[in-house]
Amino acid sequence: MKLVTAIVKPHRVDEVKEALRDLGVDGLTTTDVEGFGRQRGHTEVYRGAEYQVDFVPKVKLEVLVPDGEVQGVVDAIVKAARTGKIGDGKLWVTEAEQVIRIRTGEMGPDAV
Amino acid sequence: MESAPLGASIERLREELGALDRAYSPGHHGLWSARRRAELLDGIMAEMFGAAEPPPGVGLAAVGGYGRHQQLPRSDIDLLIVHDGRSPQEVAALAERLLYPLWDGGFEIGHAVRTPIECEQVARGHLDALTSMLDLRPVAGDLVIAGEAADRVRAVATDDVAAFARALREDALVRAERFGVSAHLLEPDLKNGAGGLRDVQAVRWTTAVAGDALLRTAERARTDAAEEFLTRVRSALQFETGTHGDRLPLELQPPIARAMGFSDEPRLIAEDGLMRAVFEHARAVRWIAENVLARAAEGASMPTGAPEPFPGPDEALEVLATVAESGDRPDARLLDSLEVTPLADTIAWTDRTRGAFMRILRAGEPGVAALDALDRLGVMGRLLPAWIDVRCRPQRDPYHRFTVDTHLTRALAEMSRLIDVGDEDPLPTGALAQGPDRDGLVLGALLHDIGKIGEGGHVPAGARIATETLEHMGVPRPARDLAAFMVAEHLLIPDTATRRDLTDENLILDVAARIGSPDRLGALTLLAKADAIATGPSAWTPWRQTLVRELVSRVQRVFDRGHMGTELAQQLTARIDAVRDLLDAEPDDAVERFVLRMPRGYFLSIDPERIAAHYPTIAPDVGSTDVRATSRPGMKANTYELLVVAADQPGLLSWIAGAVALAGLSILSAQAFTTDDGVAADVFEVEGVFEDEIDDARWREFRGVLRKAVEGRLSLEHLVAQKRSRYPGTRSNAPITVVVDNEVSDYSTVIEVGAPDRIGLLYDITSALAELTLDVHLAKVATYTDRVIDSFYVRDALGRKVTDARQVDEIGSVVRGRLSG
Repeated sequence: MKLVTAIVKPHRVDEVKEALRDLGVDGLTTTDVEGFGRQRGHTEVYRGAEYQVDFVPKVKLEVLVPDGEVQGVVDAIVKAARTGKIGDGKLWVTEAEQVIRIRTGEMGPDAV
Repeated sequence: MESAPLGASIERLREELGALDRAYSPGHHGLWSARRRAELLDGIMAEMFGAAEPPPGVGLAAVGGYGRHQQLPRSDIDLLIVHDGRSPQEVAALAERLLYPLWDGGFEIGHAVRTPIECEQVARGHLDALTSMLDLRPVAGDLVIAGEAADRVRAVATDDVAAFARALREDALVRAERFGVSAHLLEPDLKNGAGGLRDVQAVRWTTAVAGDALLRTAERARTDAAEEFLTRVRSALQFETGTHGDRLPLELQPPIARAMGFSDEPRLIAEDGLMRAVFEHARAVRWIAENVLARAAEGASMPTGAPEPFPGPDEALEVLATVAESGDRPDARLLDSLEVTPLADTIAWTDRTRGAFMRILRAGEPGVAALDALDRLGVMGRLLPAWIDVRCRPQRDPYHRFTVDTHLTRALAEMSRLIDVGDEDPLPTGALAQGPDRDGLVLGALLHDIGKIGEGGHVPAGARIATETLEHMGVPRPARDLAAFMVAEHLLIPDTATRRDLTDENLILDVAARIGSPDRLGALTLLAKADAIATGPSAWTPWRQTLVRELVSRVQRVFDRGHMGTELAQQLTARIDAVRDLLDAEPDDAVERFVLRMPRGYFLSIDPERIAAHYPTIAPDVGSTDVRATSRPGMKANTYELLVVAADQPGLLSWIAGAVALAGLSILSAQAFTTDDGVAADVFEVEGVFEDEIDDARWREFRGVLRKAVEGRLSLEHLVAQKRSRYPGTRSNAPITVVVDNEVSDYSTVIEVGAPDRIGLLYDITSALAELTLDVHLAKVATYTDRVIDSFYVRDALGRKVTDARQVDEIGSVVRGRLSG
């Protein structure tokens, strides 16, 4: 099992969700997060008041995927999240040692 | 240890309680069932206590809920063994003989073993022990000693009634803090929350020690009704969960509602009907408990004599407004008077009514307390009939914690605070400085969710209801318009900020057009904050604030720069509608996609007939190597309009400009547009350099050169230079100027170039920009006899403005260098 984690722009979340649903992925965790990468923070000016935005709002997505389906999921997320502009985010895949559905105790791919 | 007779008693107890459980459906176990359960226990407990052979001087008493004959289906059974202290070992052994079989039988028992003096000591030290033992009822054994314990405990409370009431009030505050308010929380705690059963008991305990006179007749009736109803819900909850939990979670509300006989009604599903009833009862209990405890704690005498009614609603509202403005809550006397004031089912508004009501709305938290009082007395619904539909209505989504009406009054309180007190965040302060009508602001906050009436789409419903309500109130123009607008558009800012691409210039312009003016933007900004604060703790996170601020700042700058405003917005809408009419024969969805994609500047600067003519060239999907060029006669004699559509890439504009020059065409003006999905649509007004008429062969030549240039098959640089060398140079002395400006636009760096006209000038400038890897997003080219003024809106390869000072200098020198050459 793999854990696919992606940081995407907030307004791409619906597209990513749709793309994953089309793939038959029906579990997804999202978290509102803030951070920076190459798209540094910036200064926002509103009527003369300056706001230093050190961390840019993004959404973190986490999906558990059986090994064989990882590439499809990764491709779908990257395609749906890409705008081509700076700040489109990152995606990484990590090994999930154990996955258990808490209600039933099912393990591994059955738990997804 | 277990003796046979005790085992038989336990078995019979289980059977009798089981039979009682089955005697009513799970939703109908109220106070009567609880009393019957206590009586069944009494019988068996007396039997078991006797069989356990108690020594003399020992009695068994029921305390807590069991003591007051309110034994709920799965609640603990609270027992107290009272003894005279002469043989503690024997009493301990007795307790074991009595309690072990009960524990073994699976009963949840709360128990204590005390002498009457110990009872008194514990009661002095612990409020919960005191109140539990106030309900002490001798059940078996030595009834005298149990009675002595009851008397001593009671004396603790009656000694200083005011102190007892203060302790209860303190406890109520702690509980409200810890368990929340049952009167509007969507998952209320039926026992401990404010307005829950513990508050009913607090009223009972207080009147038990301070006298029944503390409770007015109407209050007594309300309290009885609430106690019966809440006891039924709590019993149903216990049946549903099998344990004694008191919080009514969302997922159990549907089965409990059905068990209690609620069914789906138009615009009110069964579980919402249940919760509305819970909230109504809890509101009454909360209010009565507060008043009764206040009367007892402050030793205030009950008002004597019949309350004097107000002459009419206006006088009542004016008094309430004055109380609210001085920061106070309305007192009981005032509310008694209001209660006996005859009011029409629907109150007709006068200027006085409205004046007083607006003062209440502007008074912040005390104003909300006045509205709460009006609501409890049923006056809100008479003033605002629309209020009845949102009153006590639960909201089932992950963010909202409160009923619709409580959410609305909380939003009002926050709006009032933002107006009067201000905020540490400059955003709402700046929004207020835009001068939105303040009456409109509070009305907009009070009504923004008035459309949540159990029908889908609360925004359109809300807009309709708010308009009717504001009319009914007779609110004058500016405030009425603003409030109605706020209701209709209250989701625009939060939804756009969190779900849309804020770097999309079209989006920002569309939002600005929809809002129309800075004061309305200010109003929506203030409402976005007030609405979020009133929703729950997770609705106004820094994450959301950053996005909302970014959107608001961008829209504000559009207004500041005059890029959009009421007039422009109307013009834009009119032009787009005209385009839609002209394209009537085309498929609707394709036209809408076209309208959505094309930059707003395109619609504002090109007239609708020409746009309709462009449509067949621009609308179809553009592949990465597609180049489409069409031409038609221009506005003036011997001029032509040339439209080129292609996938945008750095250099594209220079290739087109180069091909135009090589085809012997002279550019009079040009406008280059780019869609957000990367398609360039460039419109040129051209004329022949030497001959007036441009024939098909010339256009073919142009298209051939352009295609080769895009495919990189010819050197435009060389060919343009060659062409230029064959003709006389410019005679103009006009200076070359290059100005780089980052203030004009949020999205692009604007480069303004002034230069004497010459062959291939646009090619020179744009190829210099391409060399700097700048993408031209928008261009305006104008030729004045022999001088050209061009502006280019450019972005770097990553779609950003160019803000680095060195890069800005570089742009100036590269462009100037190219033009001087």
